Amino acid sequence: MDALIPIMVILPIASALFLNFLHKNDRTIKILAIITALILPIIPLITSYGTHYFGGYAPLAENSAIAQGLPALITSTQLFIFHPAITYVFSSAQQLMIFILGLVAFFAIFTSLNETKKPSGVYTFLMFMGTASVTAILLSDDIFNLYVFFEIAALAQVGIIVASGVKNSIETALKYILLGNIAGPLMLLGIALLLGVTGNVNITDMIFSFKQGLVDPYNPVILMALGLITFGWLYSSGLPPFHTIKSAVYSKALPHGAALLQAFSVFTLVAIGIIILRLFSFLSFSKTAIIGISLLAMILGITMAIVQTDFKRIIGYLAVGELGYIGIGLGLGTAFGITAGLFQAINEVIITAFLFIGFGTVLYKTRTSDTRKLGGMMFENPRIALMVLLAGFAMAGIPPLNAFQSKLMLVQASLQSGLPELGIIMILLSIVTFMTFMKAFYTIYMRPKPADLEIFDNKIPKSTILSLVVFLIICIIIGLFPQIVTSSLQTLASGLV
Amino acid sequence: MSVYDFIIKKIREIQEKAEQEEPITNVTASAMLTAELTLIASVLIAVVMLRLVHPALMIIIIVAVFVIALMTMPIMPKLRREQNDSFNNMIFYVILALGIIIALFYWGNLNG
Repeated sequence: MDALIPIMVILPIASALFLNFLHKNDRTIKILAIITALILPIIPLITSYGTHYFGGYAPLAENSAIAQGLPALITSTQLFIFHPAITYVFSSAQQLMIFILGLVAFFAIFTSLNETKKPSGVYTFLMFMGTASVTAILLSDDIFNLYVFFEIAALAQVGIIVASGVKNSIETALKYILLGNIAGPLMLLGIALLLGVTGNVNITDMIFSFKQGLVDPYNPVILMALGLITFGWLYSSGLPPFHTIKSAVYSKALPHGAALLQAFSVFTLVAIGIIILRLFSFLSFSKTAIIGISLLAMILGITMAIVQTDFKRIIGYLAVGELGYIGIGLGLGTAFGITAGLFQAINEVIITAFLFIGFGTVLYKTRTSDTRKLGGMMFENPRIALMVLLAGFAMAGIPPLNAFQSKLMLVQASLQSGLPELGIIMILLSIVTFMTFMKAFYTIYMRPKPADLEIFDNKIPKSTILSLVVFLIICIIIGLFPQIVTSSLQTLASGLV
Repeated sequence: MSVYDFIIKKIREIQEKAEQEEPITNVTASAMLTAELTLIASVLIAVVMLRLVHPALMIIIIVAVFVIALMTMPIMPKLRREQNDSFNNMIFYVILALGIIIALFYWGNLNG
């Protein structure tokens, strides 16, 4: 057991609580928050792969000291191998995802502390708390523990929206939490049904019970549980019918907050999506359902993005559309398809954060995100405009940027799976994504500046520019050397097939 | 009347019903037209996947989708009006989706 595995969750929670106590001590908050945020992406890189059992309660089979004296009554049954503790599993895929989450969290916190004149301990608390929750969701092999952090993540997201102070943000936050009050308890009911049938909350043990025939996997109660857990998955990730509220959530957060919120959504989608595949892959319908929902997300997200006039809403809907690509990869169910889906998730997190922070500079200078009121921003800062343009190219999948590689893999995976229609739709929607982005880019940056547009004399903070440069470098490096990412994801993907 | 004029007329009619005061610009109209075509094309291509269930079913559904699309065009302004930030609409679609998911998972797997 590596003690650093739980530290990935404990550190952000501890610093969140501590920063909350320091509210109004601006300078201390800033220094401590930046140091902690900087440590977040470093921890997964120095942690050894392995399993952590909370309380040290390893399965009896792994604890020879205790196992030696046990009667055959126990050693010959499943009790001998079941996991009594809350178990966290850390492998190469988790390492990569937690590293990227930590990186986005660092730049979101770093940017927010520099763009805000008075740093808020409460706002930073929420960002750390959300990051800790999503890290736990990625690590946990215990479905009830996952649910607890699922709820904490939802509350942290609501807090980030409320704390933004954007017009109507409280109303949107209230709607999000009310919808969560439907989806969350239903997901918990699904987990309770699984517990009732299998007598277990450890996912590995549940799979063992299904595979060994200890439990009939086609039991109607299990089918109902699958439906309810899938419903909770749709809420947490923002897939239809929750795409409207999710895009509203992004648009009501500050740009750095939205950059982090979308990372939460993507990684929750991946974590719960993988659990659904692990638990229910024996039901072929589960993969069909994932593909169907993902297809709907892609079509609705991207077509709704074109007709929006608020650039935060445009990126919000595009982000929802991009979630569909990830889902398609998972739903194809092949090792190559799942790797492509996970690769797309990593790319989407980076690109969408890049876009939110990039376009956020326009909001910083003009205090508006309505594209009908904007124009001529290219003259204000052409270098930032160029970086935003490249971020849009990356999202649309233009080579040599990162999403080109993942989208190409997804199209190849769909062809290999005998579903060329999915490949055609993905290409078509990538073209429309490009068009949508160019429409927004043209109206904000390239057309003449409207006479009534007031541009404030705020200088874009260097931290924001640094964030954009780092995201651009990552997009180019992953685009040129995709194996850096895919090699970390292949083991997980192969294990799911 | 060209298709473009027809789309503009329909958007205006729907906007008037929704009492929106947004001006209809070239950008709005072309965005709506692109979304419309993308939606119809994507749905038609997706329906082709029904060939895996039965080729005859695929042909019937494609023809049905094509006819419905032609009869209800433009779909996007209506879809946009439905996909708004109204809590009532959100709750309606959430409950509808829950019903569909539970029914499909139960029925789909029992027959799978």
